[in-house]
Amino acid sequence: MAQESDDWGLLLAAANAGDAQAYARFLHAISPVVRGIARSRGGAMGEAVCEDIVQEVLLAIHLKRHTWIEGSPVRPWVYAIARYKVVDAFRARGRRVTVPIDDFAEVLPAEAGPDPTQAWDREKMIGMLDDRSAEIVRRIGVQGDSIAETGAALVMSEGAVRVALHRALKRLAALRERFVE
Amino acid sequence: MKTDDLIRVLARDTLAEPPLVRGLMAGLVPALAIALAGLLGVMGPRADLVQALANPLSVMRFVLGLALGALALIAALRLARPGQGRGVVLPVLVVPAVAGALWIWAWVATPDEGRQMAMVGKTLSACLTTIPALSVLPVVAGLLALRRGAPTRPALAGAMVGLGSGGLAAAIYALHCTEDSPLFYVTWYGLAIVGVTLASTLIGARALRW
Repeated sequence: MAQESDDWGLLLAAANAGDAQAYARFLHAISPVVRGIARSRGGAMGEAVCEDIVQEVLLAIHLKRHTWIEGSPVRPWVYAIARYKVVDAFRARGRRVTVPIDDFAEVLPAEAGPDPTQAWDREKMIGMLDDRSAEIVRRIGVQGDSIAETGAALVMSEGAVRVALHRALKRLAALRERFVE
Repeated sequence: MKTDDLIRVLARDTLAEPPLVRGLMAGLVPALAIALAGLLGVMGPRADLVQALANPLSVMRFVLGLALGALALIAALRLARPGQGRGVVLPVLVVPAVAGALWIWAWVATPDEGRQMAMVGKTLSACLTTIPALSVLPVVAGLLALRRGAPTRPALAGAMVGLGSGGLAAAIYALHCTEDSPLFYVTWYGLAIVGVTLASTLIGARALRW
């Protein structure tokens, strides 16, 4: 466990230094743990809702990654964000859950189900973005386009795509409150 | 959208937010400069400021205000970083403890007949209005900076912003104020700071959710 935690720290540090591959590995490494937390708290709400919540947590971790101080333990930071977002997400969906602080060590990491799980709320929220932002998110996410390919397809400079993508993700995070409540 | 797709999107977004401390300073320094300029421009420093700086009881107003400002804002920043543990606000309590001890000492040291005069002073209403007024911009700057953080306890983070801003505002106001008895300033500066803290707590509880 400690070893794994160190790995997370190395990956996140590399990510913050601009290594996108390390960052993707970091997000892949933490998602089963986040999924385990979401399912252990709200498994009764179904896999799709849990997967939406996993995505909310990942989005929050992404947008708040500057609040991690390099060299400090990653695991408590990830858990604290997951706990806050999981409680918030279930509250917003009309269910009160409590997430005790110390018992995440007992949570089994959960892989996505046999059908790669769709998160429907996220899909609806992407639809609420303006067309261009939604297009950028879908091209990069679903089609796997790079920033450069997306820019070429939409006749935008790479810098403009980067800024538009960053803003789109911030809006997705903000939309969740209005959408669910 | 599948979670793997989302991860691909997140990994492609390489724009990083600036560090929290820099964001806080970028807002707080101008806010304090405006508050300071406003106080000096509108109300002016006390005429005997230089002599007052030789009086330890008078200087304690600056020490307590600045210490509260620094400790509470450091606590606010730590609260904006998830997973920092529970004890982050404990150092802040040193300031009210010292202020309370000073108040008790002054109560004992002031003769019976002088106590009420020392406590009520002559500038009560100016104190209770000016400190909150000077706090407004620092509170706004602090809350805006913390919105970019990730406070998992928004109300407490808002309280620390209010406490710190109130402390700094009190230190600025002390340049003008001629009341040097702890019976006055611990009581009324304290009350003004508590008011600012309550307002900031209520705003923070809503505005600092993310």
